[in-house]
Amino acid sequence: MTSPTRPDAAAKVHGAVEFGTDLSAPDMWWGALVLAPVPHGTIRAIDLEPARALPSVVAIGADAVARLVGGAKGDAERPPFATGEVVYPSQPVAAVAAPTLALAREAARRVKVEIEPRASVTDVEALFPDWPGPEAARSPHVAAHVRARYGDVDAELARSETVVAETYRTAGVQQVPLEPHACLAEVDGPRWKVRTSTQSPFGVREDVASILGLEEGSVEVEGTWVGGGFGGKGASLLEPYALLLAREAGRPVRLALSYREEFLLGRSTLPLVVRLETGVLAGAIVARRVRLLLDVGTSLPGRDFATGYSIGFLLGPYRTPVFEVEGYAVRTNKPPFGPHRAPIAPQAAFVAESHLVHVARSIGVDPDAFRAAHLWKEGETTPLGQRIGPFGLPAALQAARDRAAAWRAGLPAGHGVGIGLGFWSTNTGAGGEARVRLDGRELVIEQGEREIGSGSVLVGLAAVAARRTGLPHERVRVDYAGTRTAPFDSGVYGSRTVGALGRAVDEACEKLLAELARRAGVSAAVRLAVDGERIVLRAGAASRPVVELLTDEERRGGGATAAGRHFGVANEIDASRVVDGSFFAYQDFTGAAHVAEVAVDRATGAVRVVRYAAFHDIGTVLDPAGARAQVEGGVAMGLGAALTEEAVWGPDGRLANPGLLDYRLPTLGSVPPIEVVLLEGHPGAGPFGAKGIGEPPIVPVPATIAAAVRDAVGVHLTELPLSPERVARAVKALEPSGGPDADRPR
Amino acid sequence: MSGRSRSLTVNGRPCSLEEAPGDERLLDTLRWRLGLRGTKEGCRSGECGACTVLVDGEARLSCLTLSRELEGCSVTTVEEVGREPVGRAVQTAFAEEGALQCGYCTPGFVMALTGLLHERGSSASVEELLDDLGGNLCRCTGYVAIRRAVRRARELVP
Amino acid sequence: MAPVELLAPATEAETIAVLRSHAAGTVAVIAGGTDLLGDLERGHARPELLVSLRHLPWRTHAWDADGLTVGATEPLRRLETDPKLVERLPALHQAIAAVGSPALRRQASLGGNLGRAAPASDLLPVLLALDAEVELVGPDGTRTMPVDRFVRTSRTTELGPAELVRSVRVPELRPASCYLWQRVRPANDISQIGVAVAWSARAHAWRVSLGGVPPRATLSAACAGALGAAAEPSPAAIEVAAAVLSVAPVLVSDRRATEEHRRRLAAALCARAVARAIGRPTGEVL
Repeated sequence: MTSPTRPDAAAKVHGAVEFGTDLSAPDMWWGALVLAPVPHGTIRAIDLEPARALPSVVAIGADAVARLVGGAKGDAERPPFATGEVVYPSQPVAAVAAPTLALAREAARRVKVEIEPRASVTDVEALFPDWPGPEAARSPHVAAHVRARYGDVDAELARSETVVAETYRTAGVQQVPLEPHACLAEVDGPRWKVRTSTQSPFGVREDVASILGLEEGSVEVEGTWVGGGFGGKGASLLEPYALLLAREAGRPVRLALSYREEFLLGRSTLPLVVRLETGVLAGAIVARRVRLLLDVGTSLPGRDFATGYSIGFLLGPYRTPVFEVEGYAVRTNKPPFGPHRAPIAPQAAFVAESHLVHVARSIGVDPDAFRAAHLWKEGETTPLGQRIGPFGLPAALQAARDRAAAWRAGLPAGHGVGIGLGFWSTNTGAGGEARVRLDGRELVIEQGEREIGSGSVLVGLAAVAARRTGLPHERVRVDYAGTRTAPFDSGVYGSRTVGALGRAVDEACEKLLAELARRAGVSAAVRLAVDGERIVLRAGAASRPVVELLTDEERRGGGATAAGRHFGVANEIDASRVVDGSFFAYQDFTGAAHVAEVAVDRATGAVRVVRYAAFHDIGTVLDPAGARAQVEGGVAMGLGAALTEEAVWGPDGRLANPGLLDYRLPTLGSVPPIEVVLLEGHPGAGPFGAKGIGEPPIVPVPATIAAAVRDAVGVHLTELPLSPERVARAVKALEPSGGPDADRPR
Repeated sequence: MSGRSRSLTVNGRPCSLEEAPGDERLLDTLRWRLGLRGTKEGCRSGECGACTVLVDGEARLSCLTLSRELEGCSVTTVEEVGREPVGRAVQTAFAEEGALQCGYCTPGFVMALTGLLHERGSSASVEELLDDLGGNLCRCTGYVAIRRAVRRARELVP
Repeated sequence: MAPVELLAPATEAETIAVLRSHAAGTVAVIAGGTDLLGDLERGHARPELLVSLRHLPWRTHAWDADGLTVGATEPLRRLETDPKLVERLPALHQAIAAVGSPALRRQASLGGNLGRAAPASDLLPVLLALDAEVELVGPDGTRTMPVDRFVRTSRTTELGPAELVRSVRVPELRPASCYLWQRVRPANDISQIGVAVAWSARAHAWRVSLGGVPPRATLSAACAGALGAAAEPSPAAIEVAAAVLSVAPVLVSDRRATEEHRRRLAAALCARAVARAIGRPTGEVL
């Protein structure tokens, strides 16, 4: 099975698609944000007059907002500008617009901001040096607390033969799209219109309406092509400022982040600290305890899903008869936590997998055999009582073990091979709707998502329609429309496009076929096909041109239409296991097993990834090229999180590396050849049994690299990233004994 | 210095720089003065390669180039590079190998590779070309399909 | 806000005259512009006038019997792609290849890099190990001095008012030389530490320098001395020299690396650089 050529490829190699940063209007002005110069403190004064003294500059601050929105009351917990207090570094305190960018930047520089500094809280462990006790759940530093259990962990640990207890720490990482956030806003009477680079036009509409206190119907959002999202463009960021400036200036305003601002204001994964205890008896896990301190920065209300959501990934896809998990979302003076690709899951899988490997080695058992013995199987339930549907991870693990064995043969000195697993749950989000329209010549899918790069919209949705109807893909086209006219969809994120929006497309196609069959007087199954230039309806051997089945109105109006919708599948959590807080209900299970060969320089700690293989449980492949590309891209991004990417906050609370030189992305020379194997046969909840593939590929990567490094030089690392310094220090610490793995057979 | 007309050639057409301040970047001249937005703005500090164009046939970072320094030079952008055989081969290779996802880095890669093929001619090995593309970042593809496109472009160029 | 002016004088004399007639801080000189434009973008520099050196006859490099002279505005890429460089001055080739990316190197120049004196410069440690000299030209004529004296400390040089770097001279071809640096990624990366070594047949001695550690690269006479007056030091001598380098006082912690890691790296890179310079295997795995 092959994929069609991407419909957007030709335009993109000619630079002919319009991204957010390309937006332009003839009379537009340029916006710039004024960012707090001090990481945390009380605002004493903000003087906009020096900026306004420049010709043609408009400047707005917190007290202008109510006037600009006609007295509407926005969400008090999410004011666009800092009010009273600056709570994170570079928090926006004002905004300006001017006829040129240079003038806007100069105006922003001239705004006088007086802040009485306060010491920043940046380290969750420093806040809770002895780890939070029960009373901490009500501490003002704690944004959310979750706890769940089953059985008596202490009793089981007490009767275990071996208990392994350890602490892991992982760094914050950022999405770093190549295109910074950018939008163009215009206020036209009662209509607040914004064109923006976003993964979720309807999400932006909802956020803007909430933040500014407007009716959703008065906000119109049109998405541009997106130069990379990775979770960072799923919610509104710049649009409220651009709209306010456009309203003040009485003309369109373009607002984009500089690349430095993209780092400073990005909302992404922040540091984690995890403590685990695992008890083993007769070679099997009998009990586990996991405690998580999750830095959520300036936690935004309603976005506390992170804690309950991360916990499941920390246990891994493994059977645990008795357990207790507890998580604290801790507020610090950093920007708000936000979703990255597979939020927190790569870090959590690193913790879960490295711990499992360590437990296995501690009892002298091969880690891959230990994994296989405990791995979830279809029909079992998760620790939180959710039923596991068809699950391809056992097959993926077996394939990975075979590949690892092959790679271990003849391995040069200093090289190692390791396996890492990850599981994921496709997030169907708030759901979506789609329409299909069929005339005599093509089937058009009408929907409200832009293609953000993976092909899931332009190719994936079309593949669903093609497969359902029988049409060749050349006769299926995906259209995009903005929020004013398109059917609702919650966004391109969470690996949900094909699985959820695709279900809506599928339903629409089914309804269309059923209606055409009814009109043709056929009760048997029907398909669409192409006969010469025309589309025909086929039932067995009989065939009728579709145009003959359309009403006059449909013929004039562009074709027959049908609508479909999909709003998630239920998979209940067992509430009796939940003690406090809310947990994320996984809706669909997919898994992946990765294998890496690395070479490690013992003296410098440098790690080179020599080759990589990824085995993915995809259910059904609808777009093979697109799926392969997602695995390749996700693995590369995971290599960054594994080895080189780390957001570093200084003691003063500022981000110390807001730029590409010191926040190190993988480059062409550092990503190895990646073999991709897509395993079908364990259907998921998507159309034709498809499972999402956008996020799963990043999840196992840091775990896999850590396992391979351990295999190469015997070190057990409990921090991410696996920087040269950490690796070298760990190697040195093992000399001369060689460490716990030194005498195991290879 | 005086009496010299302040212009450069962009995609074969003369472009006056009379109104451009001395610190105007080539990136901004192309995108906002000339409306040629195929060249993308990324980091603006020479670290991502998204803004790569050809200046007298050589790949250059337009974010770090002052337009007024290019008086008398000839600039080619991604919109027009397909008119020459090397540029066309590179674009074909990228499209056919599916070496793009969001497409933001694509113009930069196309121009960087075209410039490298000009510079090294037929003596360039694929490995040398890949080494020299280390300054172009991509966050979507993991570079795997891009490496295939570089191989394919090398085959398509005589 | 007046727009920034740009002048491109036709001769050295005109250039110096323009610089003399403007107050320091109001004018900035452009060679390749790669560093300056970063400063302008971030608002670190706000000159009224930019003075371009592009018409000056400094965009050349020339080999002679003894060494190499590089004009201040010669792009690094032109040096890099000269096949003689990798044979005659391999350390310089390695350092140049470490700067940014090829596209960046088409603009960046040796003169610009030296004039800026960035603490993490890859070129400075190599120029020190090669005993390079700079030629300066200014209102009082030309003068020459060793690079070691020219670069005083981080971002501070001996340049006087209206004075410019005209050329850099490497006085001796040193094929037994090498520059190694700890990189986290193969391109567009910044050194946590770099070690340059070079054997001078003329002086019958080694030169060793450490780079990537603020405030500026420095020569280590102690390490060079430990290598001895031997074109091919013994493995034992190399090990001692590496250990000597690892206790250099400049190896301190900063946000890119801790002291402990730098010391470990200094020893490893020194041993490997010398081995490579003399054509011995380094035992590296990567």
